[in-house]
Amino acid sequence: MKTNRRQFVTQAGAAALGSSLTRNAWAQVRPPDYSLEIAPLKLEIAPGKTIHTVAYNGRIPGPLISWPENKPITIDVANHSDVPEIVHWHGLWIPSDQDGSMEEGSPMIPPGGQLRYSFTPRPAGLRWYHTHAYAGHDLKRGGYTGQFGCFYIEPKSEPGAFDQEVFLTLHDWNGYMAGGGDASMDVSYDYSTINDRMMGHADPIRVKEGQRVLFRVLNASATMTHWLALSGHDLTVVALDGNPVPVQSTIKAVRLAPAERVDFLADMNLPGVWILGETRSDIRKAGMGIVVEYAGRQGEPKWIDPPETLWDYRQFAKTEPASAEPDAKIPLAFTSKFRGHGEFDYWMINGKSYPKTDPVVVDEGKRYRLVMQNRSADDHPVHLHRHTFEVTSLDGKLMSGLRKDVVVVKANTTAEVDFTASNPGATLFHCHQQSHMDFGFMMLLRYR
Amino acid sequence: MISCAVRMKLRLGWPIKAALTFMFLLIVFGKLASAQNNYEIQVYGSDTVAPKTMMVELHSNFTAEGSYPAPGSEYTSEGVYPTNHAEHETLEVTQGLTSWSEIGFYVFTSARSGDGWQWVGDHIRPRVRAPDSWHWPVGASLSMEFGYVRPSFQKDTWTWEIRPIIDKQIGRWYFAVNPAFERSFHGPSVSEGVGFAPAAKVSYDFNRYISGGLEYYADYGSLRDIYTFHNQQQQFFPAIDLNVSPQWEINFGVGVGVTAATDHWIIKGIVGRRFDWTHHRPGSSESTN
Repeated sequence: MKTNRRQFVTQAGAAALGSSLTRNAWAQVRPPDYSLEIAPLKLEIAPGKTIHTVAYNGRIPGPLISWPENKPITIDVANHSDVPEIVHWHGLWIPSDQDGSMEEGSPMIPPGGQLRYSFTPRPAGLRWYHTHAYAGHDLKRGGYTGQFGCFYIEPKSEPGAFDQEVFLTLHDWNGYMAGGGDASMDVSYDYSTINDRMMGHADPIRVKEGQRVLFRVLNASATMTHWLALSGHDLTVVALDGNPVPVQSTIKAVRLAPAERVDFLADMNLPGVWILGETRSDIRKAGMGIVVEYAGRQGEPKWIDPPETLWDYRQFAKTEPASAEPDAKIPLAFTSKFRGHGEFDYWMINGKSYPKTDPVVVDEGKRYRLVMQNRSADDHPVHLHRHTFEVTSLDGKLMSGLRKDVVVVKANTTAEVDFTASNPGATLFHCHQQSHMDFGFMMLLRYR
Repeated sequence: MISCAVRMKLRLGWPIKAALTFMFLLIVFGKLASAQNNYEIQVYGSDTVAPKTMMVELHSNFTAEGSYPAPGSEYTSEGVYPTNHAEHETLEVTQGLTSWSEIGFYVFTSARSGDGWQWVGDHIRPRVRAPDSWHWPVGASLSMEFGYVRPSFQKDTWTWEIRPIIDKQIGRWYFAVNPAFERSFHGPSVSEGVGFAPAAKVSYDFNRYISGGLEYYADYGSLRDIYTFHNQQQQFFPAIDLNVSPQWEINFGVGVGVTAATDHWIIKGIVGRRFDWTHHRPGSSESTN
């Protein structure tokens, strides 16, 4: 198999930096606040169904890191896998060399190597951490593995009252190339889980009637968008990608593209034993569901289909235009290059695939608008590292106040987001679908 | 495919156990071969129609050079309508049942100058495939087809076909083989047992929307008594597939029969429309369904 530039950078960087990292970075006197060990894991997601993957600290998801905003943290990472690895701290405003992306200059951790990350977590809210390694055609590496975990940055005060807080992570397992027909190849999966178990094989979420439960949900799937509903219960969305929404809307189902997070409140006012799960029955049957059990209630968990729902970010945003005009607009056109119905497409930004994509140069302190045109037939959950952006327009419809770090640009539509260049250093922009970013859908922003 | 079931029946022969019978059969074979029908000309891929989805296809096949009527008769010497300049229209409706099964129904019709537009017959075709979760290195499915065709179009009226389907897409290349077996339950070839009629296809994706390649259809006769090459059906169709939309299936080809037993020139076209009852864009996740 040919080595592309992303792989080359990974391997060469790991080789060059490996020994020094092992000697210097690890030799810190002060013990870390958290430690992560990357190692192979056999995970039994249901009786007789075992996943062979790589995970943090032998568990799925990795340990919940809960840490006060603006308090420095150190995290030691040891790589006991057989490939170079790296940990990306998704959604945090931290320096490029700590962000965990080799494209920005963060070091890879070679097999057997160790590295200490040190940074000051901010902004507050639900962030997460995950591998940022290349996978390509190897659907057992990179984001297809179990290397992910929640990183909750504690605010000084919580915006809403709740009785119970539940962190959930969504993931899909045993990916394989599928497709054919008119489409290019895409990734399909055998199993799906919430946290580390298939539906019916995990301890239920135990609640009491009258409680208000805050669910913090992360979609850690490498490529799949997921819908979740809680059989008959209303869901009030209070935050997207960890950032409080300007308009809290109550809906029947939430959608999460890869890397997106949703915080929603659910009032436990429908006593029974219910399924919180994927709205699509085939994915629910593949395992994506968890039982919610009211105190004193027993029996087979029940599922109630929500009414058909279309996802619209605007229901959580202000309808008036953004108050600030950008200092400059950056046009970005997304296109694909066909390579056969039996192959993944190559992806391009403004006609070029990474690493040939043209870097965008920005000046610190200025406000920029990414004017994105998706000229492809696929949706793209695009992610901007180390910054938070404000969604200002979707398909020509203006909005404001919704702050995110991942936004889905639907097929053949436009989207505009504003960000302030407030965190100097190389900054990666990419589609968070692993099969898209690995095949060219990345670009760097550089500070002048 | 279905077509084959119909098409293959036409070859029919008799057991070769006596010299006189053999001589007679040679004659009959030749005549039957010239009476080949073509109602659905398609090499099957392993994929099945998705659940909550219906595929409606129209197969249009024009025989530019085929069999002729016997002197003084509207039928060929085998007693069936000739195929020369016949237009065959076949409606195929396939409903997805599960992620690995479907069922198809066929209505065969024929139009020819002087004969008018006539109903030919109907078939039903359940099909299953190896689920994706089996992770086979190739796509595989199994089709069974059963149905009736009027005796004025095919002497074997009730037929059954089993069709293994194996295919593989590698980059821009696509390969498929359909080694089909069929049997007649009513008609002159009942005693022949099982016949063998393979089909195959190789194509190349020129771009996202246009694929071109070669399709091959054959009928080797009864497994107990393979025909001579002269009496086999051997057809080659240079064909293109237009992938203009996930909802549409378009195929076009021109076939050449290279043996005396095969219609010499056939123009075929397939137009299919997929109806998705889930109401959302294929491949998207914009709604809860």
